Amino acid sequence: MSGVRGLLRGLGTTARTLTRRAHTAQYPHTEPTLPERSRGVIALLEENCTSCMLCARECPDWCITIDSHKETLPAQTEGGRERSHNVLDRFDIDFSLCMYCGICIEVCPFDALFWAPDFAYAEGDIRNLLHDKERLGTFMASVPESALPTAEEKG
Amino acid sequence: MSSRDVDVTLGAAGVGGLSTTEMVLNIGPQHPATHGVLRLRITADGERITAAEPVIGYMHRGAEKLFEVRDYRQIMVLANRHDWLSAFNNEVGVALTVEHLLEMEVPERATWARTLLCELGRVLNHLMFLGSYPHELGAITPMFYSFREREEIQAVMEEYSGGRMHFMATRVGGLLHDLPEGWLDRVDAAVSTVRSRLPDLTGLVLGNEILQGRTRGIGVLDLDTVLAYGVSGPIARASGLDVDLRRDEPYLAYGELFGEDGPGRVVTREAGDCYARLDVLVEQIQVSLDLVEACTARLRDLGPGPISSRLPKKLKVPAGEHYCASENPLGLNGYYLVSRGDTVPHRLKLRSASFNNVQVLREMLPGTVVADMVAILGSMFFVVGDIDK
Repeated sequence: MSGVRGLLRGLGTTARTLTRRAHTAQYPHTEPTLPERSRGVIALLEENCTSCMLCARECPDWCITIDSHKETLPAQTEGGRERSHNVLDRFDIDFSLCMYCGICIEVCPFDALFWAPDFAYAEGDIRNLLHDKERLGTFMASVPESALPTAEEKG
Repeated sequence: MSSRDVDVTLGAAGVGGLSTTEMVLNIGPQHPATHGVLRLRITADGERITAAEPVIGYMHRGAEKLFEVRDYRQIMVLANRHDWLSAFNNEVGVALTVEHLLEMEVPERATWARTLLCELGRVLNHLMFLGSYPHELGAITPMFYSFREREEIQAVMEEYSGGRMHFMATRVGGLLHDLPEGWLDRVDAAVSTVRSRLPDLTGLVLGNEILQGRTRGIGVLDLDTVLAYGVSGPIARASGLDVDLRRDEPYLAYGELFGEDGPGRVVTREAGDCYARLDVLVEQIQVSLDLVEACTARLRDLGPGPISSRLPKKLKVPAGEHYCASENPLGLNGYYLVSRGDTVPHRLKLRSASFNNVQVLREMLPGTVVADMVAILGSMFFVVGDIDK
């Protein structure tokens, strides 16, 4: 009979918990509030990227692919030098490989990569997890304000 | 058993109504009770197990080999994945080994913050097993209670690191982020919430006669076997082995926490059965919560300051070798680092707790009945990634 006591005590705990509010949220209807540092998805600010390849080289599993070409701007002033700069053709992150370590964001010297707390980008086909620069750019909208470089830093 | 030999021959010949042959039973690699891809090859004579062999390696990812082509920051990414339930403790272990070889000073604030996060990680780990073990025994309810408490701790860990499982917050020389504003208060709040509700969970688990009946006196592991197999952590302490590296070979801030008036204490039991192992986990949660509170108090006293030391652009570790061990939630985790003065280690050997803790099943299972097998297996608290690396 001693087994009944533990059973009743357990049911007591259950009854007590029943009177409290539910601890879970109905996800698709209630969005979770995520902290600012949440590592959900990597966002790309394309105009800051100089295609220096640092992120692609430091990535532990090489999930970033960058292609760029050089473009030459004609001299702005009389007798001036013409300037060449890199133009980003392709910036892909393969989220099926990404380990969400954040090293690329840490090493980026030009503030072109950010964490955004977006997480709802699951796909039915693994190939669709390869996000191109346009797709990565859309995540910039959800990057928290505090992570963005301030106006004066931007110069 | 002398009759067994006779049985086998008779069984093979097909005579004798009561004769039995031994049956080889594979538990896993895909089995609901093995949480992961551990395979147990069990030989059973009727209901009784006569031999058991853990077959490991289904989840071998070559972590040690991969370490050799990764720099020290990239190693953290892999190191926190071999035992995914002690992610933060693993990161810190690697960082400590590298720092020792570099003879690098880590800011005091970083040391205390690391200790704090390690202990939160330990609570997360133990709560997981406190939920999953009864689940393996057939009680689904404790899982919900343990995950409710885990969520409190997860929230503060996520707020600090941005991750829920693979925190990636440690760097050689300190931590990546400074503590967020008001974070210490939220840690304290989380700790007191967990502490106030923990009796619900422990009462459901330890106070339940059915669970007691299934675990008391089952799977007794004696001290000699513990020592012979190098079993460590809560499992070894449940068999009376009074070893805890936090006290015996202090690293981080544990020297002070486990000192004279410190809140730290080593939890041991004598029985060595499944119940004792579970009991150790429960009390270790309490100890870890005490340690967390001591850490937040100290971090408040320390005030603002640096959280990491400056590193050269290319971190090269001087040639040499070093062994460093830490008390992970599941047992001793050792890191043997051989450097040849490069940005990558020449060799980084892991001594993971679960590997040894699972080998001992070979000794524990023979003589028990198949119905107790899951109770014993679950009480060895292992993570398959930690076995196979």
